[in-house]
Amino acid sequence: MDITSLFTQFLSGLTYGTILFLVAAGLSLIFGVMNILNFAHAALWLMGAYFSYTFWNLMQEHSFAFWLSIPLAGFAAAAVGWFLEVVLIKRIYKRELHEQLLITYSIALILSDTIKLTWGVTNKLIVRPEIIRKPVFIFGSPLDSYFILVILSGAAVAIGLWWFLKYTRYGHIVKAAVHSREMVGALGIPIPRIYTWVFTLGIFLAGFAGGIQAPIGSITLGMDNAIIIQAFCVVVIGGFGSLLGTLVGSLIVGEVFSFTILFWPDGAMVLIFVITAAILIVRPWGLFGTPMRT
Amino acid sequence: MILFLLAVILPYIVPVFWVHVLTEILIMGLFAASFNMIFGYMGQLTFGHAAYYGVGAYTTGLLMVKANVPLLVCLPLSMLSAGLCAAVLGYFCVKLRGIYFAILTMAFGQLVYYIIFQWYTFTGGDNGLQGIVPPAFLGKAANPYYFFTLIVVAIGMIALWIISESPFGYTMRAIRDNAERTEFIGINIQRYMHLNFIIAAMFAGLAGALWGPFNRSVAPDLCNWQHSGMPVFMAVMGGPFNFLGPLIGSAIYTMLMAFVTSFTEYWPMVSGIVIIVVVLVMPGGLLGLLGDKLPFLRQNGSDTKETNG
Repeated sequence: MDITSLFTQFLSGLTYGTILFLVAAGLSLIFGVMNILNFAHAALWLMGAYFSYTFWNLMQEHSFAFWLSIPLAGFAAAAVGWFLEVVLIKRIYKRELHEQLLITYSIALILSDTIKLTWGVTNKLIVRPEIIRKPVFIFGSPLDSYFILVILSGAAVAIGLWWFLKYTRYGHIVKAAVHSREMVGALGIPIPRIYTWVFTLGIFLAGFAGGIQAPIGSITLGMDNAIIIQAFCVVVIGGFGSLLGTLVGSLIVGEVFSFTILFWPDGAMVLIFVITAAILIVRPWGLFGTPMRT
Repeated sequence: MILFLLAVILPYIVPVFWVHVLTEILIMGLFAASFNMIFGYMGQLTFGHAAYYGVGAYTTGLLMVKANVPLLVCLPLSMLSAGLCAAVLGYFCVKLRGIYFAILTMAFGQLVYYIIFQWYTFTGGDNGLQGIVPPAFLGKAANPYYFFTLIVVAIGMIALWIISESPFGYTMRAIRDNAERTEFIGINIQRYMHLNFIIAAMFAGLAGALWGPFNRSVAPDLCNWQHSGMPVFMAVMGGPFNFLGPLIGSAIYTMLMAFVTSFTEYWPMVSGIVIIVVVLVMPGGLLGLLGDKLPFLRQNGSDTKETNG
């Protein structure tokens, strides 16, 4: 195994990790602030992918269609997320764990069928613009040029989120809410409204990730089933509610998956679950999380 | 008892299709009841119970297809293998509580799923195992296998009932209601929870073992997390604080599924809507709801726990 192909593998792991990061960041945020484990997250991610296909399809004759469809997918998914929060999720914050899981699980079932009803069972393909169709060579190893775009946009989102949490008023409120909801409420901040927007932001990230994912391959039904579990693994490894943890966790999962598949293709997923289980046993709150109040 | 008599008479009245549905109700009912040993009696939510169901199903499937072992021998062996898996994996699970317990059981469940899914040479991978035929003495018709299932499930349910009413079962309730206090009176709660986890897994394995010959095949999907969600819903629907709740839940869920899938392929959407309505409208499940509305139906007051939704 020469160094170039290892580097290629590293980059593809990085790409996969970036997608996972975008999905898991919202999942982690929602769990960190509201203690809701959102099974429907990946369904909304997939919906984002389909949205971006639709937008791209509608604006096909324009050159900006491809670029615009990705953020629009985020906003469209966020609208669905906002609606779900206001209608349903709002009612279950104070419910018991199994009820919350059942509700988000049901939402996932309903959304999957909604996708099937809306977009049909045929695979959808987004044709990329000319500039990002050819591979580029980095240190002599070929790489899909779109992958670089994926990695860069993931980095941009990570920096944006970090900036939001560190330097804005709302970011501070969100961070405070991860630590103590009661205290934030006692300071006169309208908790229900914060919840709605945190959920919407999380789903925006999921939809955006779906939009980013869409041009990588074709969009197929059921893609969400695998990614939700892997996103859970990322969040568990990194720690619920920690942005840095989610970043590290998604890179670990992405790279481990990418390299194991070279040497032991059958064991790639198994290894990820072994790592996840080991983290849960030794440090249930994850690498960068803090022990939880529950 | 009434239920049992009903279960004996029904197959003579209803068409063959519904006999299959009844068989499925029984198998899933035992599965859900075993899940409820952890959920209702121990107060922990497992989201990976299908793993033990799947291990049971694959034990019987492999033994019958590859070694021609008679079904009656397979059943206890399936319980044993599921129990052994739970002994190893459960050891770690019972150290955690609440959401972490749910996630770790789910992670282990997916671990088992991917091992079965990827191990083509042994388990057949995603092709599953075909050609698991019920033994000759049960024939090919639906009814004999139904009665066989009925007997096995009845024995399993009685065993679970005895366990849940034993001092051990009451220790589990004590752990559920107040783990700290139970520990203070000198009970090693982790060992008790581990034991309960193994027992629950063994009966899930038994239910799984019945599935293979019924369906003539087993597939890795039996172990994945979606399948782990089914007993959660059945228990919640029927009422987790009543011994028969999960069985009732299984009956409602399975019949609804058989009914809905006969005219639409969008069963997941229908089931999702049903689950949401059930969770929002009747937090104590159907039996909990009946118990609230008609107090005389309540079997024994100590069994129903207040749910403050």
